[in-house]
Amino acid sequence: MKKLIASVLVLAMLVSVVSLLPFAATADELEPITLTVFRGDPGDQPAEDNKIYKLIEEKFGVKFQFEFLAGNLDETLGLKIFGQDYPDLFDGGNSADLIISGGALVNLLDYISPEKTPRLWAHIEPQKARLIEKDENGNDVLYIIPNYGLTDGDQIVNEVNGPAFFIQKQVLAWAGYPQIHTLNEYFDLIERFIAENPTDKNGTPYIGFDILCEDWRHFCLINPVQHLMGRPNDGEVLIDVSTNDFHTETFIDKPYAKAYYKKLNEEFQKGLISRDTFVMNYDQYIAQLSSGTVLGMFDQTWDFGNATAALKDAGMDENTYVALGLVYDPEYVDGKVIEEHYVNGTVPNVRRGFGISVTSPYAERIVAMWEEMLSNEWQLLFNWGIEGEDYYVENGRLLMTEEQYNNRNDNTWKLQNRALAFWESSPKKQGWIMDGPYAGNAWDPANQPEIVLGLMNAYDQDFLSHYGFSKFADFVNPPIELAPYGEAWQIDYTPVDVEHTDFLNIQDQRLPELIMCAPEEFDAKWDAFVEEITPSATAFGDYMQKAVLEEAAKVLGNE
Amino acid sequence: MTTTAIQKRPRKHRDVVFPTVNAILLVVLMFVTLYPVINTVAYSFNEGTDAVRGGIGLWPRVFSLKSYEAIMADSAVYQAAWISASKTVIITLLNLFWTGMLSFALSRKEYVLRRFITLAMVLTMYVNAGLIPNYLLISKTLGLAKSYWVYIIPTMFSCFNMIVIRTYIAGLPDALVESARIDGAGDIRIYWQIIFPLCMPVMATVALFVAVGSWNSWFDTHLYCAGQKQLHSLQYLLKMKLATTQASANAAKTSTDALKSTTQTTPVTIRCAITVISTVPILIVYPFLQKYFVTGMALGSVKG
Amino acid sequence: MSLAAKKNASGPATGNKSSFFRTLGRQWQLMLMSVPILLYVLLFNYFPMWGWSNAFMDYTNMKNVAKGITPYIGLANFEWLFSRPDFFQAIRNTLAMSVINLVFGTVSSIVLAVLLNEVRNRGFKRTVQTVTYLPHFLSMVIVVSMAQNIFASNGPVNALLMNLGLTKDPIFWLGEGKYFWWLVGVINVWKEVGWNTIIYISAMTAIDPCLYEAAQIDGAGRFNRILHVTLPGIRSTFVILLIMNIGHLLEAGFEIQYLLGSGLTMDWSRTIDIFVLQYGTEKLNIGVATAAGMFKSVVAIVLLLGANFLANRLGEDTLI
Repeated sequence: MKKLIASVLVLAMLVSVVSLLPFAATADELEPITLTVFRGDPGDQPAEDNKIYKLIEEKFGVKFQFEFLAGNLDETLGLKIFGQDYPDLFDGGNSADLIISGGALVNLLDYISPEKTPRLWAHIEPQKARLIEKDENGNDVLYIIPNYGLTDGDQIVNEVNGPAFFIQKQVLAWAGYPQIHTLNEYFDLIERFIAENPTDKNGTPYIGFDILCEDWRHFCLINPVQHLMGRPNDGEVLIDVSTNDFHTETFIDKPYAKAYYKKLNEEFQKGLISRDTFVMNYDQYIAQLSSGTVLGMFDQTWDFGNATAALKDAGMDENTYVALGLVYDPEYVDGKVIEEHYVNGTVPNVRRGFGISVTSPYAERIVAMWEEMLSNEWQLLFNWGIEGEDYYVENGRLLMTEEQYNNRNDNTWKLQNRALAFWESSPKKQGWIMDGPYAGNAWDPANQPEIVLGLMNAYDQDFLSHYGFSKFADFVNPPIELAPYGEAWQIDYTPVDVEHTDFLNIQDQRLPELIMCAPEEFDAKWDAFVEEITPSATAFGDYMQKAVLEEAAKVLGNE
Repeated sequence: MTTTAIQKRPRKHRDVVFPTVNAILLVVLMFVTLYPVINTVAYSFNEGTDAVRGGIGLWPRVFSLKSYEAIMADSAVYQAAWISASKTVIITLLNLFWTGMLSFALSRKEYVLRRFITLAMVLTMYVNAGLIPNYLLISKTLGLAKSYWVYIIPTMFSCFNMIVIRTYIAGLPDALVESARIDGAGDIRIYWQIIFPLCMPVMATVALFVAVGSWNSWFDTHLYCAGQKQLHSLQYLLKMKLATTQASANAAKTSTDALKSTTQTTPVTIRCAITVISTVPILIVYPFLQKYFVTGMALGSVKG
Repeated sequence: MSLAAKKNASGPATGNKSSFFRTLGRQWQLMLMSVPILLYVLLFNYFPMWGWSNAFMDYTNMKNVAKGITPYIGLANFEWLFSRPDFFQAIRNTLAMSVINLVFGTVSSIVLAVLLNEVRNRGFKRTVQTVTYLPHFLSMVIVVSMAQNIFASNGPVNALLMNLGLTKDPIFWLGEGKYFWWLVGVINVWKEVGWNTIIYISAMTAIDPCLYEAAQIDGAGRFNRILHVTLPGIRSTFVILLIMNIGHLLEAGFEIQYLLGSGLTMDWSRTIDIFVLQYGTEKLNIGVATAAGMFKSVVAIVLLLGANFLANRLGEDTLI
């Protein structure tokens, strides 16, 4: 009996090992080629029978083998660099600087030229001063063609998709549709609304203002001051673009920042801000917004898309949000009147997207494929899909039924019918279609005027009509011209990484304390905060000043 | 037989009180530990957009099978389940095989290499060379990356389990080994014929540890097989779904255009449904192992 | 231990070299059962130790690293670590949470194991056992997320405390550092108590039933049976696990702290692993990350050998 147990165990082991031998054999077929692809963010493998990838395979003989990010990005990239395990198409996500300095990517300028690849060249040409850098030997290099932000035609701004102060539509409606432009007006309105309507119709108390602080989403806590000072998103620095000195400073340790957090402290004392907001996780935040009880917050539109969808789904349109471009009242900034600029000019997403790795034998073929894919036919396929299935054409206008449009939010559908895993990181056309039979349509269905208008429900149309606006972007000023340095958050600050980490940690820690402290302690605590953060802020700010000037010189030098 | 002997005795007052209090305590504990599980199940059966609003307790608010349908529609799940199941079985058997023998050898006080080998083994639990040297060894030196073997070969042994089995063997009567040795049996025979069959409870325990560890591991897939979708494990798929909610630490460093398309979070319901799907197999296997270590073996009968 | 075994064991100690090898030769079967695994761990665990040399090198310039240029900088990485007050804070937090986890975890799982051992109804026993180990399979993300709801200002814990009149205003569990370590301990117990019990329950199966009978005949009550039979029966398991865990005192993990912590609790939540993640791993500063890893390993070995020595002195079972 005991012998039996033992032999069964051994046998079972052998059998299972032998039965799995086929797994060991991994044969790569050379024709047609399979490109290995790394994406620097999490994602789902596309469906086996995805129709767009099928077309790519038919046309280019190319299949893809995707790897998405499951662990820590920097650590994963580090292993690839140390092991020299590069995929053919390499998207380093937000840490692409690591693989660039790690020498993982080929210089695309060796493959791209006006003669060989006219479409790709035309695609990067308008922004080439920004995109092409000098390597340490002084040669021109381009490692990554930006995956977003190289657009054609006039900038499309239907809504504020980036940072803003948000307020529930019902609050504005209750107050008779006022225009809100300053910090004080904003909080006054919320205060008045809450005084008269302490709870929603279910009896749940309203929360005046939410501040999400979770992990990297702490921009809701630390970023607003630059916008109140009248600048679009430069990350953690405030830059004076009125002169070519581009004076750059960290703003969080300055007196004008104190005004904002002091204001938040007052609102906290008045009960508009709940202390739980500082320990909320993202799911809780979204749940709170979706319940319709949060009247306002500072955030970026894409960050709470799930909540907006849930509110609309529940028919709570009056609880969805309008983006407002607030600035400081003159009293906070020595009587100066600040002009509001929340929306920036189109920003090329520099150093984000696919590069081709130095170990890939297919660089030539990949570039040729991109070149072909920048044709209107392929771009239409990636953006709109297949005519008749995914969209229809009427009088030269590209249109979608409601069902066709809604499909685009269905994850399972997307995995079968769109080639997003590849396309999101590839060079792409954005903005308006400039030539061919469909000239004058938008590349992105979500920007097509007929669709934008068609999607707007009766509540929103009525809401806008009270203001005489046609779109929600009318609540803020039109885009300001993009500064020569781009947007400062794009700048690689690796050399001051440690100081930058300190800089953020101190803010994460102290700002919530400041907002919650007793009013009489505020001034002393603020001074202590400034003293604590000054070393890291100075190191980071000085570095950024230098880097901003260098970036700006690239563009200005060519003019 | 022990239990019956105890039960035959006349019950005293506290023999009624204690079991009652004990039962109540355990039921309360069951509820407390069951709550998060039921909550997860409730979420998994809730409609996705509605679940975003939170506040679901022990029962779905808007019942829907959509999350399960979405997962089951993905053929990758079946392949991943097969990978996870097969590697778990193989690793468990291999671990029991090697670790059991080693534990026996190291439980023999007369074995001259005992202290040296034990120390070498124990230290493996505390020294760690760091991720990169390990990665280079497995991926480059041994060339195991991108193959099924990377799941098996580096995880054939764990010191912790060796200690657990060794402690158990040390608790067995020495006379068992001695009398067999007098009969002329060698150590290998003694282990397989006498010790191993007595070790069923601890073997079941270790089998559970190894199996659960292997079933739950995703990091090996992430490191070595992330690009090989035919080698993805179930937990790796789950981890991928969870990762979309946490996103990368500096995702704020990208243009809003890009964020709009890439920060779509996985609905909480899908996350929960995958958790349920990946836990059910363990629930099914568990009772078969549990009967060994909860009921135990009638030690007395073999000792005679 | 039997006489024969003792004689064998004393062999190599008293004899000369050749008798050592003679004994070894006689023990070829034991070697066959153990040396393959020894070679295995030499390859998989000890060979990669060359990586520790990275602790003495400069990995801060990725351009140089890519070219294979990593200058030797002596102890600079260690000096940097120990120049940071928040590294010491991380050590303090790690130790505090480890000790709390160790005490909470051990006590709760032994108590549960003993209570389960006293249950007569086999079906009930198995049900409780199965149910309590289930949370082990929930990911930390899900568990922490629930804990954040439960401990919120308007969550059930505060509601209960206020109904019982134990507190007037809701307690800010998640935002005040002084609660953080204990919350981590409670959540870990919640998630792992059933799982940790398994090892003790399995150890209890090895207890000779005759001992219970003998105790019964001696008129020992339930409490005395637990005290004099059950607990001594799992003593060696307890001691061995304790020694092992003492060696792991610098390992408090990072996932739960990372998820549960916030800016407000950072001074209490940051563990060594989080510190290394922030200043080493995420910057690809392999030098600093390795230096911290080395420090942890050395401390672990010292703690482990110390605990082992102490156990030996106290006449307990030892790990090594």
